[in-house]
Amino acid sequence: MLSEGRETLKEVIQAVAPIALIVLIVLAVLTSSPVSDLVNYALGVIMLTAGITLFLIGVNNGLLPMGEAIGSDLPKHGSIYLVICIAFFFGFLATVAEPDVRVLTNMVEIVSNGGIARDPMILSIAAGVGIFVALAMLRIVVGVPITWLFTGGYLLVIILALFTPADYLQIAYDAGGVTTGPLTVPFILALGIGLSSVLAGRSALTDGFGLIGLASIGPIIGIMLLGILV
Amino acid sequence: MIAELVIFNGIAAVIQDAVIALIPLSIFFILFQVTYLKLPMGHVINLFKGIFLTLIGMILFLQGVHIAFIPAGDAIGSFFSAIGKAWILIPFGFFLGMLATYAEPAVRILSAQVEQSSSGFIKGTLILYTLSIGVGIAVALGMARIVIGFPFLPLIIIGYAIAIILLWLSDRDFVAIAFDSGGVATGPMAVTFLMALAIGVAAGIEGRDPIIDGFGLIALIALAPILSILVLGIYFRIKKVKSS
Repeated sequence: MLSEGRETLKEVIQAVAPIALIVLIVLAVLTSSPVSDLVNYALGVIMLTAGITLFLIGVNNGLLPMGEAIGSDLPKHGSIYLVICIAFFFGFLATVAEPDVRVLTNMVEIVSNGGIARDPMILSIAAGVGIFVALAMLRIVVGVPITWLFTGGYLLVIILALFTPADYLQIAYDAGGVTTGPLTVPFILALGIGLSSVLAGRSALTDGFGLIGLASIGPIIGIMLLGILV
Repeated sequence: MIAELVIFNGIAAVIQDAVIALIPLSIFFILFQVTYLKLPMGHVINLFKGIFLTLIGMILFLQGVHIAFIPAGDAIGSFFSAIGKAWILIPFGFFLGMLATYAEPAVRILSAQVEQSSSGFIKGTLILYTLSIGVGIAVALGMARIVIGFPFLPLIIIGYAIAIILLWLSDRDFVAIAFDSGGVATGPMAVTFLMALAIGVAAGIEGRDPIIDGFGLIALIALAPILSILVLGIYFRIKKVKSS
């Protein structure tokens, strides 16, 4: 676990450092921020780097093996309905726990001065992911080609956009981007691994993939419906 | 040091938030454990140690974003709009988007995956450059939208329409990879810093509504890798036809 931790830390630093440094330089040189702001910024970046690292190590040693354990248990029951139900809950609960989703929804609540509340947004995004992960499973069982599902999903997203209130529109599309965060992706993929053994015999490569892509259509529709209905 | 440190501001709310986020998944697992899985107790305890690390990590991450990236993005965004040179954010956005993608380990993994799917026809470095430039363009477009002030809807509809057209033309193995790749560029860096930057700019320019103009950037960033990989898929298909 220690060497794994070192590897993860290295990758996180690689991803965070370039931007973090440029921003620090811009803050120091151009906006001439006070030293206390720069110190707070630097401490914040260190916290964030340590945070992502611990988070990823934790996911790899906790949530991910949990997901795999549940995923590989599914074939024993042989029920496709169970698989689809589990798929929904996996998508829903992983999204509730996804930090990127929290960052987006927190920002929206702050910027709108509480006008768009956070919790209904999180629930709509999570329900959207859950339903689309379940649909993605159903697709593999029924044998609908992935191109059809993407085309249908994207057309729906374009059509719904015309009825969505202006305040919710941008947020809806952003929601599609944040669900593919560091928790949801490995967790949903773990389900896919378990499931591919249930449905052995189908083309594993092209069927297994596409799960994440479909999962990110759900939240867009979820937030659009929230905006239309509220 | 006399300067005020704000690193623990609001941490109680963050801790509460992170705990609430992880409880449902844990209960779900316990239910499964009790009814079906029945894994050995030692193993379960280890898994919950992992959950504990995840919890600490999430608290540090959210707090770090809260005290570092959100104020920084806001400060830089409002600085450039205050001095009337908001256009600088367009090339700056391009540069940041490109750099963030180039540095992101997930993008390297994706590049290797695509190289493999094309049986080596398309080199990993070509994919890496295509993705980096693609995301750079997306961030620049997102910034240009706020600075110049054109609407979001036509932009995203055209983007999605192009994606639908390309997906019918692209190599089939590339389609699934393309749509799964939407997430590679929307990592924690993009979501936190670039979003705060966009909101800071939108708040600083007269006549912009932060809730309408400040959001939407993540959506554009998520579209960039999809379009890039689909285009590479078409390129691969053409190459395959030529070589056979």
